[in-house]
Amino acid sequence: MLFHTWPFALFLLVVLPVFFALRGTRFWLPWLTAASYFFYGWWNPYYLLLVAYSTLLDYALVAFMDHCPKAGDPGEVRARSLGAGLADPLLRIAFGGSVLATAAIGALAVWGPPTLRPACAGAGLLMALMALGAWLGSRRIWLLVSLINNLALLLFFKYARFLVENLNALFTTWHWPVSLPDPAALMPFGAAYLLPVGISFFTFQSLSYTIDFYLGRGERERNLLRFATFVCFFPQLMAGPIERARNLLPQFRQFPPIQSRNFSDGASLFLAGLFKKLALANYLSVYVDRVYEHPQDQGAPALLLATLAFGWQIYFDFSGYTDMARGIARVMGFNLILNFNAPYLATSLGEFWTRWHIGLSSWFRDYVYIPLGGNRAGPWKTYRNLLITFLISGIWHGAAWTFVIWGLLHGLGVVITRELERAAFYRNHIPAALKQAAVFAFVSFTWVFFRAESLTDALLILRRIFASGWSDPHIPLLMLALIALFWAYEQLSASRFQAWIHTAPARIGTAVFMMLYLLLGSSGGGAFIYFQF
Amino acid sequence: MAHPASESNHAPGTSDLVFSPSDLRLTGRQWLLALALVIPFICLAPRVWTWIERFDTGPDYRLPYALSRDYWLYERRLTRETVPSQVIVLGDSVVWGEYVRPDGTWPAFLNRTNAAGYHFVNAGVNGLFPLALEGLVDHHAPLPRGQKVLLQCNLLWMTSPQADLSSEKEEHFNHARLVPQFSPRLPCYRADATERLGAVVQRSVPFLGWVNHLQDAYFQQKSLPGWTLADDGGDPPKYPNAQRNPLAQITRQVPPAPLVDPDRGPDSPRHRSWSGQTPGRTNGTTRFEWVPLVASQQWAAFQRMVEKLRTRGADVFVVVGPFNEHLLAEDNRPAFRSRRDDIVAWLSRQQIPHAVPATLPSELYADASHPLTAGYELLAQRTVADPEFRRWLGTAPAPGPSR
Repeated sequence: MLFHTWPFALFLLVVLPVFFALRGTRFWLPWLTAASYFFYGWWNPYYLLLVAYSTLLDYALVAFMDHCPKAGDPGEVRARSLGAGLADPLLRIAFGGSVLATAAIGALAVWGPPTLRPACAGAGLLMALMALGAWLGSRRIWLLVSLINNLALLLFFKYARFLVENLNALFTTWHWPVSLPDPAALMPFGAAYLLPVGISFFTFQSLSYTIDFYLGRGERERNLLRFATFVCFFPQLMAGPIERARNLLPQFRQFPPIQSRNFSDGASLFLAGLFKKLALANYLSVYVDRVYEHPQDQGAPALLLATLAFGWQIYFDFSGYTDMARGIARVMGFNLILNFNAPYLATSLGEFWTRWHIGLSSWFRDYVYIPLGGNRAGPWKTYRNLLITFLISGIWHGAAWTFVIWGLLHGLGVVITRELERAAFYRNHIPAALKQAAVFAFVSFTWVFFRAESLTDALLILRRIFASGWSDPHIPLLMLALIALFWAYEQLSASRFQAWIHTAPARIGTAVFMMLYLLLGSSGGGAFIYFQF
Repeated sequence: MAHPASESNHAPGTSDLVFSPSDLRLTGRQWLLALALVIPFICLAPRVWTWIERFDTGPDYRLPYALSRDYWLYERRLTRETVPSQVIVLGDSVVWGEYVRPDGTWPAFLNRTNAAGYHFVNAGVNGLFPLALEGLVDHHAPLPRGQKVLLQCNLLWMTSPQADLSSEKEEHFNHARLVPQFSPRLPCYRADATERLGAVVQRSVPFLGWVNHLQDAYFQQKSLPGWTLADDGGDPPKYPNAQRNPLAQITRQVPPAPLVDPDRGPDSPRHRSWSGQTPGRTNGTTRFEWVPLVASQQWAAFQRMVEKLRTRGADVFVVVGPFNEHLLAEDNRPAFRSRRDDIVAWLSRQQIPHAVPATLPSELYADASHPLTAGYELLAQRTVADPEFRRWLGTAPAPGPSR
């Protein structure tokens, strides 16, 4: 169910009034959970099991973790001894349950239906690890179980085919008589092997909860419904922004205050998002798709303009979705984090990543870059850590070499420009417009790898941009005008004239323009790019 | 990504939303002002546009082929034409005149008979069928009480489960926005909920119909952005509209049908007798997989439509045919006749005036149901000669329209 479709409008027409009507009762939270599950199940009801499973497991794991002594606690020494966990009643139950589950699932893995065996083998190993965690009473093992479980889901549904294809290609090259089966063959009962929409988002969100609790940065959530709503809150379930438990969970503790400001803010955000998606992103996508579909037939101007247009398309598409998500949440009284902050106004690559997909950027900063050592161990290790972080970020975006290269390029870009950005000369003497242009040029260059169908296509596009001759790019003037208008608006918002765009006539005029353009000139639907991640 | 300077932009548990400086943020009062500008525009623009845009219709006017899906224009035209001295002729491409010029259609020849001083309005739509006609009548046919309506019943739509839209296999068909979206269920119609709800909303909101009219009339049935990216179909394609001003397209005059239509009229290569296409063919060999009337979706829609028209006070006359019986194989004709007779029996039971003109000569048909120009002329003569039709027309025109 996409935000800009009629079924979603109908969904909101039911969900919002009931939600507000349940104010003052204890049913508003179950209603929110049910609405979120319905929202996700609309896409594929079978994959609801996946969300429910992930939620239940992480909820239980944190509960078990809570019953284990923390590092430095007096009980921690006891926890290092074998069987220490069995002193705790909950961990005893966890141990017994895990042992029984390991035996039952293990039996299924050996004697069960062939289509179930691979899934059972994986689940059995996880259960065995859980039994060990309960026996030892080790928080670290519970965290490990959460990491393995969430990352395994992601690995299987998102990366397994890519890995299998590449490994099989390697085996063929090395003349090894081995061939790994396609992951679709591992699906139980022959179910379709589809990438569950939003899996990268909800697994990361759930993981942040367990990691934060392990690190003592967050509290345990005892209410299962509240935790389930945190994992699958429908406005941000499909494509973020990736929330932290410490921001979103407390907002579910009590019914949010109903204020007129929530409605006006929410509607403003939703309108802006709708405009970005329908009027801008969808329009640009037609041009970009046409050019990128047959790059070999295109001249340099068309390829260059389509690449620049894609940079705007993905920005409008993703930030449009985020705006709509934040707007819907805001109408209900919930505040989601800012995910995009005029990224193309960044004057350095580092700054770009503090403005683009902030939810994911800060996730990688907190859970990958800083645990790797961050910038605390000298420049070389900082560079290494940056490269690793960006490499993982590239892989997060998709199972293809193009994304790996995209991530690496950004990593290299940040490493190379890091010292430059700190230099006083660069900061004080280079005009901001020039720095913005340089950042935009680099980011656009990397988008070639992000958008191209394959590595071969990406290289072909780059080669043709620099080597092919002039031909009419056939880019519509209306498209250029809309981009220019938006760019000017963002520039104005960051300039000393920003007060102009915040005057009442400017705001009303902008809203009226957006509404009329959407009513008169929108080019229809189309899924969001980031749903595939 | 992991830039050290980056910090969480939202303090834990804070209650206020963080906005980017470029975010649009209206207050409640500003929203009211914005809506006070937009809502009147939505309500008034379609009505005001009818004063601004020229819409020339002559005596034999029919909606141009390119505007077949412009239901807003259809409604606008009927609003203008529903006067007591007019008879609205509703139907599919048989009424519209698939192979003939505007002056060679059934309504055009009916006009030439000067039957009781009435003017017959060609309100047929190309590509229509009863299930869609029902939707057209429901949502886009403002007929006042007492309005005379001549309705054509085409048995072509019962010749197979595919034509009847009752097959289980997915079918793509014209005018999908007009068919019932949820109930009754059409098994071959597989649009998703978004499309179905979109169709329901579009036919209920005149403004959206008007926007669709602008797209159909001025932007080659495309949205404005889509028009700027339209290609010319060449190889390699050219994009003639990319650098043109879209607003200059709006000429404020409904585009007329082309003066010379190479696909229609006696000079067109398509305007040929079905029997003449194969020398010596006079008897058909076609065996249709006729759908029983009780199971026919199209017939059920036709029945519902007639009932709705009568409930709305319309004075309905039904003409069954003209179906080209000649092309049927001998053993397939009884099935056709039994359905035709059942339809006539139902019309009689419902006391709906009707006529079943005799099948036209073989050489006057272009295909299974469309006559050629001479066929339409003969059909008009036979229609007017029908005593029941004359009785129906002989009634004095109803007093002024009441809506």
